[in-house]
Amino acid sequence: MAGPKSSSKSSPTSSETSVAVSTLWKSYLDQTPDRLKFIDAFLAFIVLSGVLQFVYCVLVTNFPFNAFLAGFASSVGQFVLTASLRAQVNPENRSEFKEVSPERAFADFALGSIVLHFFVFNFLG
Amino acid sequence: MRLLSSALITLLALTKLSFASSNSVLVVLDPSLDREDYSIFFGGLEERGYNLTFRAPKDTSPAITNYGVPNYDHVILFAPDTKSYAQDITPQSLVGLLSENTNLLIALSPKQTPLTSLAAEFSLILPPPETPLISHHPARSEPPTTIPVPVSSSPILTPGIPPIWFTGASHALGSTPMLVPILRAPAESFAADPTSDADSDALVSASEKGGEGLWAGSQMGLVTGFQTNVNSRVVFAGGVNMFSDEYARKELPSGELPGNALFVTDVAAWVFQEKMKLKIDAVDHHRVGESEAPEKYTINDEIVYTAHISAYDSETSTWKPYSGIDDLQLEFTMLDPHIRTSLPPVPGSPGTYQVQFRAPDRHGVFKFVLNWKRKGYSYLESSTTVPVVPPRHDQYPRFLSAAWPYYAGAISTSVGFFLFSALWLAGDVKGERKKGSKAE
Amino acid sequence: MIWQFSWLLLAATAQAASLSLQSPRFTISASDATQLRSDTLSLTKKPEPLTLGATDTLKLTFQITESDEGKGVQPHQTFLRFYDKESGEEGIQPVRVTPGGKAKFELNMMRPPASIPPTTHNPLEVSLILGSFVHAPAQYDLFDLYIPASQTPAEHPDEASFHVLPTIKHTFRPEQKSPPQSISAVFAAAVLSPWLVLIGLWSKIGVRVPNLFSISIVPFTALLGAFEVLLVWYWVDLKLGQVLLYGGILTIPTVFAGKQALYATGEWRAGRK
Repeated sequence: MAGPKSSSKSSPTSSETSVAVSTLWKSYLDQTPDRLKFIDAFLAFIVLSGVLQFVYCVLVTNFPFNAFLAGFASSVGQFVLTASLRAQVNPENRSEFKEVSPERAFADFALGSIVLHFFVFNFLG
Repeated sequence: MRLLSSALITLLALTKLSFASSNSVLVVLDPSLDREDYSIFFGGLEERGYNLTFRAPKDTSPAITNYGVPNYDHVILFAPDTKSYAQDITPQSLVGLLSENTNLLIALSPKQTPLTSLAAEFSLILPPPETPLISHHPARSEPPTTIPVPVSSSPILTPGIPPIWFTGASHALGSTPMLVPILRAPAESFAADPTSDADSDALVSASEKGGEGLWAGSQMGLVTGFQTNVNSRVVFAGGVNMFSDEYARKELPSGELPGNALFVTDVAAWVFQEKMKLKIDAVDHHRVGESEAPEKYTINDEIVYTAHISAYDSETSTWKPYSGIDDLQLEFTMLDPHIRTSLPPVPGSPGTYQVQFRAPDRHGVFKFVLNWKRKGYSYLESSTTVPVVPPRHDQYPRFLSAAWPYYAGAISTSVGFFLFSALWLAGDVKGERKKGSKAE
Repeated sequence: MIWQFSWLLLAATAQAASLSLQSPRFTISASDATQLRSDTLSLTKKPEPLTLGATDTLKLTFQITESDEGKGVQPHQTFLRFYDKESGEEGIQPVRVTPGGKAKFELNMMRPPASIPPTTHNPLEVSLILGSFVHAPAQYDLFDLYIPASQTPAEHPDEASFHVLPTIKHTFRPEQKSPPQSISAVFAAAVLSPWLVLIGLWSKIGVRVPNLFSISIVPFTALLGAFEVLLVWYWVDLKLGQVLLYGGILTIPTVFAGKQALYATGEWRAGRK
């Protein structure tokens, strides 16, 4: 139809982006397996936790600095490890990670996390 | 009876060694001077326990050193006009003696001798040769070269010494603080050729010539001491006559007896290390509340530093604790002093000086430096090196309220990880693939 | 003979004519030769202190005679003494005297002689010292003189260490201030708030955990939890050596439990696939 077409062409891109975002979101909800959504929820939790620590550091005080670094690094490091677990476990990435089984990925994730937490608590003070 | 008397004699002989800590003295006496003319001075030294050995400047024995090791504890050089000595006495060998902790008492004269160049090494500037000190004041029957000199007070001399007779040369003092002025010239005296009034023009020309100018006034020294870095002492006296019996007995123009005997005794006592001789017995340092010195300190530690100092007491020939220093200072130094504080004596504990301070908040290798130098007293120097390290990870202030959010974050992440792992391992694998959503 | 000779000598000195100072005058003039002050000096009383500026000139004239009315003489020693009583600095300046006893001394502050000692704001006491081989000596206090302060003479580099040195205090870094505990508590609660988000999201997704208490994975899960507890214990109490030791000990069962657990999960994934 010419009307809606022309109207969609002449209107500014904000509605286009909002349409794109909602399509993306819908597609994510429909197509992502539950296991991966489970990991994504954990990722969101880690990000929020890190951001809130950063906000406290900037707004209130950065003393003691070592504690801030340890707490923030805990969030950042855990995010990186969890993201790499998600990448390795995702069935759609099978071709990338032929030698790494999901079990092996989880073992790496667990070991990396323990070592990260060791450094974090060492530096936390 | 014989045993008793011999024991008594031995006891008496031993008591003679009362004053001197070290007591062998070599007196190099010029043959033109008679030992008997100086009997008051030498007799006084022997009474105080010194063993005097006499020789002439040109004698080869007894030598003052043997392969570099001094043979005597002190040397008196009463050879003011001697131009040539035996091989073992040179300005270099005398300076070598001082480095080996031998003290020297040297008499100079208006003549140019090897001792003139030696005195110049100690920052004493002597006037031109053959210009002895003369003074027309006060009016007296003695020649102008024999001068009564008032004695100003000094920590080296007993107070209240009457004026002394002096004949010889004056000298100008350099600026080095290691010089200890003992006797200064009277204000009206000056160094000149002692002939007639007609030479007054020559005096004015000499001063106008520039250069050193005229040796005149109370800035000139007559008897000056010098204490070296190893705490040996040397005294340069402008003339040898002040030590003589004749000068000790000659009446002053005012009628009273001069102070020569008392003055030369005090000077000898200082040069031969009977008085104003100090040493550091021990220093120790530890943290407040502890008693042993730790291997290393941490920054911001409270440190206690203690020094024990004694002075030599010539009357008993022993070292006694000495609390008389009221301006002792301690420096805590790493390249530059970071802390300089006074080290006061502890009341009730003789000879002990103590201070407490906080180590700086910089880490590094520090030194406790004690460096006390005052004119006339032995130099006290001590340096102790200690490392100061930054705190260990668990010595910092921990578990602070300011860091609660960070603790919460770290623990939250750990707990989250544990919960995630438990649920992941236990999870339903069926959910890994979405039904009918294979990416094509 | 000798006895008579010494008597003669004694008599000579006892009755030697004494030197005396006649008609001392001083004049202070400025650099352009205008006279600022001029007066005779009294031998019994010192005048008001003289002041010389940096460009002024002091001229002093006098005559030395034998006793008060005698002829002029040229003594061996005619010195002006400049003495600062406070600092002890002293300068001696010989004055040229003609055979007739007349003497003139000029002090030009623009080109001062080397004999002037270093000065501060204190006055110099100026006196005249007369000495002779044939006359009895004399000394006269002339006046007090203020001249511009000079630069202090250069000190020997070691001189400072012979006196008390200034105290040095170390300025420590100030103690860090903590924010009020209530604010920290609020933010700590804020940092814990993502838990609500996590629980919410997980419940929305619908977590299905059929094997949560399966014997294959419980040891591994428990050991992972034990590691976390060990690390928190290390944070609170333990030393490095201890935590590494305990961690090392814990690693051994964890490896076995992990192998077993992951084998089981692998089987489930394969079995259900």
